[in-house]
Amino acid sequence: MVDSDSELDYESAPMDKRHSLFERLYTGTGGFEIVGKRKIYYGIAAALIAIAMASMVFKGFTLGIDFAGGSRIQLPAADNVTTSKVEDVYRTALGHDPVTVQKVGSGSSATIQVRSDTLNAEQADKLQNALFDAFQPKDRNDQPSRSAISVAEISETWGGQVTQKALLALVVFVALTMLYIAIRFERDMSFAAIASLFFNLIVTAGVYSIVGFEVTPAAVIGLLTILGYVLYDNVVVFDKVEENTKGVLHLSKHTYGEKANLAANQTLMRSINTTVIGILPIIGMLVVAVWLLGVGTLKDLALVQLVGMIVGGYSSIFFAVPILVSIKETWGPVAAHTKKVLNRRSGGAQVRVGAAAVASSDGIARERGPRQSSGAPRPGARPSGKRQNRRH
Amino acid sequence: MPPSQGTAHPLRLLGVYAALVALMFGLIFFTGDKHHTPKLGIDLQGGTRVTLTARTPDGGKPSQDSLKKAQDIIEKRVNGLGVAGSEVVIEGDNLVITVPGEDGGQAKSLATTAKLYVRPVLNVTAPQVGKQAQPQPTPAATPSTAPAAPSTTASAPTTSAEAPAPQNRVFPEQAPTTPSPAPAPSPQQLQQEIAAAKALRQSTDQTVQLQAMATMDCSKPDPLQGNDDPNLPLVACSSDGTEVYLLDKSKLDGQEIKNASGTLDSRQGRWVVDVEFKSSGSDTWGKLTNEYVGKQLAFALDTKVVSAPRVESGNQFGGSTQISGNFNATTSKELANSLKYGSLPLSFTTSEAETVSATLGMSSLRAGLIAGAIGLVAVLLYCLLYYRMLGFLAGFSLLAAGVAVYALIVLLGRWIGFTLDLAGIAGLIIGIGMTADSFVVFFERIKDQMREGRSFRSAVPRGWQRAQRTNLSGKTVSLIASAVLYVLAAGQVKGFAFTLGVTTVLDVIVLYLVTAPLMMLVSRSPFWAKPSVNGLGAITDLAQERKATARVLVKEA
Repeated sequence: MVDSDSELDYESAPMDKRHSLFERLYTGTGGFEIVGKRKIYYGIAAALIAIAMASMVFKGFTLGIDFAGGSRIQLPAADNVTTSKVEDVYRTALGHDPVTVQKVGSGSSATIQVRSDTLNAEQADKLQNALFDAFQPKDRNDQPSRSAISVAEISETWGGQVTQKALLALVVFVALTMLYIAIRFERDMSFAAIASLFFNLIVTAGVYSIVGFEVTPAAVIGLLTILGYVLYDNVVVFDKVEENTKGVLHLSKHTYGEKANLAANQTLMRSINTTVIGILPIIGMLVVAVWLLGVGTLKDLALVQLVGMIVGGYSSIFFAVPILVSIKETWGPVAAHTKKVLNRRSGGAQVRVGAAAVASSDGIARERGPRQSSGAPRPGARPSGKRQNRRH
Repeated sequence: MPPSQGTAHPLRLLGVYAALVALMFGLIFFTGDKHHTPKLGIDLQGGTRVTLTARTPDGGKPSQDSLKKAQDIIEKRVNGLGVAGSEVVIEGDNLVITVPGEDGGQAKSLATTAKLYVRPVLNVTAPQVGKQAQPQPTPAATPSTAPAAPSTTASAPTTSAEAPAPQNRVFPEQAPTTPSPAPAPSPQQLQQEIAAAKALRQSTDQTVQLQAMATMDCSKPDPLQGNDDPNLPLVACSSDGTEVYLLDKSKLDGQEIKNASGTLDSRQGRWVVDVEFKSSGSDTWGKLTNEYVGKQLAFALDTKVVSAPRVESGNQFGGSTQISGNFNATTSKELANSLKYGSLPLSFTTSEAETVSATLGMSSLRAGLIAGAIGLVAVLLYCLLYYRMLGFLAGFSLLAAGVAVYALIVLLGRWIGFTLDLAGIAGLIIGIGMTADSFVVFFERIKDQMREGRSFRSAVPRGWQRAQRTNLSGKTVSLIASAVLYVLAAGQVKGFAFTLGVTTVLDVIVLYLVTAPLMMLVSRSPFWAKPSVNGLGAITDLAQERKATARVLVKEA
């Protein structure tokens, strides 16, 4: 298959330098076959989706307290407080066992967290008193205080309520962004973006199911913000695709797919960088949250974002772009154009070298070179027209 | 942005940004309460947050009007607690009560509908079904005396509490639920439950009434709570679940109450609720006491009998009475508070009630700040590694954005009551990555231009031209996401969506007023054009290589 221009440069350059993978990534001249080998990526995507679906169906999710309902009691884990002692106090005070008692977090932030079935006000009061009598937990002024004990009661309908709203938000969000992308870019791109959005949704949810991370309302909402991030990533890549494929139909040197592949290559480093920069603070947040606090909103949000950003970074390049090309090549003017280019190519392989020379010279002849493409580029725009005749 | 632009331009843009930031800090330090810290959510400073979900008899959506009324009443009750900075806000169909500080635990019980009806007692039995889970040493009703005419005593029928077997499963008090963890009941189910309960327990048919008394399960939450019809008889439990009453239709309701207070009855040594009637109410009460001398009158609050004293003498026209029950200092005050401030037009279930100790709040705040600092440093290091000295520009833009975000959060806390909670901090931290990404896109666009063979100097303005479009399109999507989440999502995640949205908007402003002008300035300096400084050597090499290749090829051709 034919593809990126850079490859040609290396082939024919007399003082050929070996470029490392990083260099090729860095300069955006990797020449990775992404669109060309899209069947492989579809295979990977299909496998990931299948695994995710299977896990969701057969294994299900680990639902947090917000979905199951119950009470959560927290008290500072001072030296005299151990989980077994707390369990004893609980049993003596209320006459039944708590669901779980665990120590979370570390250092001065460490707490003992008790999870139980829903306690009514009276029971919660009794337990709070018993815990205070037993451990004398200190407040921030180092005074023993009953209010150093945190109590949360969550009804089992709460998580469902949050999820219901999240689903509504998802529908509205998908509709709005489809509309936006269709207006700002084009309709096919909005289909591709939405496809990649659902890919993300399913795979991220699948990871949650497989690993058994606890699903909390914060995680459900976090999932939605990932979708925002994924679409943002898609938009950046599509922007490049749009730029590269401008005027591609007026010439028969390159197919739409090849130009899209070039765009994917050129934005590959950006996607990697964005993902790294995006997940660095999130990893920081996750580590701190788990280390200091053990559990809670911070961890839930961080975890879902971490998984989602990695999946999102992958999908914007390896899923969204191939899908876009597939859609384009199935119908419409691009499909006809691709056929034409491929036909022509199989007949006219001889003209290669000459054409290539002219094409490569564009690198220098940029400003004064012959303009073959339709319409001159805007001042300041990347000279996209010329790159199209670089090869053949 | 054409390169021909005057040199003053980038500096002017930077000046505009500096002025904006100065203005915001000026507003912080010279207007309002001059506090320069953000308003913190209760999960960061300690306090109580209660999320209440309205429950309508027909399972439909509550009207905004009744929600507003409920908000007003609960607000009054919250203020009755006397904790400064408490607030009640409507979020969709929910009411969220926030009480900062350590004394807000009572807020959890503020949502009782407090529909009080005085109903004559027709019959009393012990519950037959679902023996209550908890032993109750004291009976429900205890003697009640009216201070004006201290002659009523009540002999509350006592049932010996069954020796309760310790149960592992406690029964939820409020959530409508079945003992096994079941999915949330749909509005339709709820509606059916209410209708069924009404048919059975508010029937005028004696056989049905007897059946209802026999099958009444006092350990279950009452679907009729706050939804009973005062004009029909009612089968109800006592508030501790030890008795089942058959009550006549209501003779007097809570609307007639002028004032109520929880006091310690010094003679009896127990907590009671003193009730003062409005003039019409005291009339009715006086007549009632005449009519029911020697009989029991029940105070039924939200379909539970709080107290059922036997009226010892009539003619109690003094306009006040006392409700006694199984109260302590807190519960008597709570009941008084609820009665005083009126009954809610809706009945609510508590979806989420959380008391966070100040200690835990402090830990969370500290963890959030540390996480933010780590995230910032990690991103800065990565930028320096990848973008060399240009990483400083990325870092500077981040700091510029950070300063503005901080100022904005303080100001928004003051103006629209925005509170920064843990989820909001998470939004800010995630925003770091998103903000840095503007720089990444810009930088990659510059690389594109240099790959074409342009110099660093001419690549920057051209790269900017393209990066703008990309950035704006991308940020629009992010903004749509935040806005949708903010409007539609429930609970504390609103804070997350909000800070994410704020950072997105500020990010665009910073990109235009700080990052881009800085890059323009830098592009003109020979120092920054050095590959060792800007890290763009590989691209320059590539462009050179291409030139060379092209030359060779041209010659060959």
